[in-house]
Amino acid sequence: MLEFINVTKRYSESGDALSDVSFTLRQGEMAFVTGHSGAGKSTLLKLVPVIERPSRGKIVFDGQPIHRLSEREIPFLRRKLGLIFQDYRLLHDRSVFDNVALPLAIAGYSPSEIGRRVRAALDKVGLLRKEKRCPQALSGGEQQRVGIARAIVHKPTMILADEPTGNLDPELSAEIMNLFREFNAVGVTVLIASHDLGLISRLGGRTLRLRQGKLVEGA
Amino acid sequence: MLGDRLNLKSRGESAAKARPTRSAPRPFNRLETYFAWQAETFKDSFRRLRQTPLTSTLTVLVIAIAFTLPMSFHALVKNARQASAGLEATSQISLFLKPDLSDETGRKVAERLKKHPRIAEAGLITKEAGLRELQTHSGFGDALAALDFNPLPAVVSIKPKDSLASPTAMEELLAELRKLPEADFAQFDTEWLMKLRAMLTIADRGVAVFSVLLGFGVVFIVGNTIRLELQNRREEIAVAKLLGATHWFIRRPFLYAGFWYAFLGACLAWLFANLLLLLLRGPATQLAELYGSPYRLSFLSLEETELLLGGSVVLGIAGAWAVVLYHLRRLDPE
Repeated sequence: MLEFINVTKRYSESGDALSDVSFTLRQGEMAFVTGHSGAGKSTLLKLVPVIERPSRGKIVFDGQPIHRLSEREIPFLRRKLGLIFQDYRLLHDRSVFDNVALPLAIAGYSPSEIGRRVRAALDKVGLLRKEKRCPQALSGGEQQRVGIARAIVHKPTMILADEPTGNLDPELSAEIMNLFREFNAVGVTVLIASHDLGLISRLGGRTLRLRQGKLVEGA
Repeated sequence: MLGDRLNLKSRGESAAKARPTRSAPRPFNRLETYFAWQAETFKDSFRRLRQTPLTSTLTVLVIAIAFTLPMSFHALVKNARQASAGLEATSQISLFLKPDLSDETGRKVAERLKKHPRIAEAGLITKEAGLRELQTHSGFGDALAALDFNPLPAVVSIKPKDSLASPTAMEELLAELRKLPEADFAQFDTEWLMKLRAMLTIADRGVAVFSVLLGFGVVFIVGNTIRLELQNRREEIAVAKLLGATHWFIRRPFLYAGFWYAFLGACLAWLFANLLLLLLRGPATQLAELYGSPYRLSFLSLEETELLLGGSVVLGIAGAWAVVLYHLRRLDPE
């Protein structure tokens, strides 16, 4: 599903963010990337949707060498992914429904199909009743659930979440993590960056530990 | 960019009703869906314009003025040209009689000239008639009334036969008339016309240069407005890119916005230019009558309207295109 082969990411200002990282994630696997802040978790996650490109090494996703993807092909790769952010990145000038519908509109689904799928996604995260609300009127946990609905509405093959519970209290965090478990149970590959070791150990699953850009555990 | 249009759906059906009703899956027609989205984006970009009424109105107004100026100048020059073309057919010779000749003698001269083989018409404008006309039309009425004598000579207004179209034949006739013993001097009435036409040619060039400059102006106005909008919608663009939006998808609503600004501006300009012509119509008709022309000021023709609307749309989209192309390159997700 996802393969990193000797991947190094070097920033000219700050040196190596990742050095010589290699690991393989199988289809339907759920894994956590952990490490202190600055260990390279975010960088690793940015390489998959080609927000950043590796300085050296190869990355293969779904059989495709994405480290040398052309600009033109990037959008179509991203449509296979579900991205979740620590700060949710919702659009505040539109309703919950429209936020979740965005990936489908981008992929060119028909309006009737969009209505059906958006409601199915909102139902899954328990926000069906709030589809007309504005995201700012929702709590942090609810906003992240909108973010998750948006990430799964187009049925991605893989979910990538960067500190999805970073801004949430422990109870809400557990709730969010359970959602990921459920998606994983239906066959979606999940990769979550988190420094919340307690939560990770409770959930169980494979852990990739990064220390100063090097993969020290879980390869 | 695209969210608002989705509102339609979320408002339309209630959540309960939309629960899986198990309808047979409709065949997914890509092309149909594509055009449906185009139409939605198109309408949505207009809706966005209305969301910021002040900015949009100002932009449209500025564009309208930029189009109105060359359009109305062009219309005026065109009208003057058409009017002067009408005058050419009636190009006349004025034969000024010696001041001491009586009206009676003048009338006899006019009668005699009517029989001339090269002359179609000849009519006498007596000293008094000339004075009256000058008093009513020239605006020198009061000054002329203050004079205790009539300084004007009698004039025989001569219309050559149509067969005398060639300039040399006209010159010959003119020379012949000048030699008449009763004549003081004779001249074409069309000399001013030549000068006018020369000036119109200059004016035409001016309009062309003006149009090009203001066309650039429109490109910049639209471009700048779109640039501000791009900045306001940065986060939206960044998120859309992260979710797999192609450059085309992101560009589209802005290109439509450029279309709307220019198109609405051009419509308004059309209205302004014709309104201006309507205002000038009365005085222009009076002016034409003074020169004995039945000419009526004409409004923008169908072709001119098409050119205005078509040209504006091209300029608007060009302005939006340039800015979007330039800025989207530099606006990467992170």
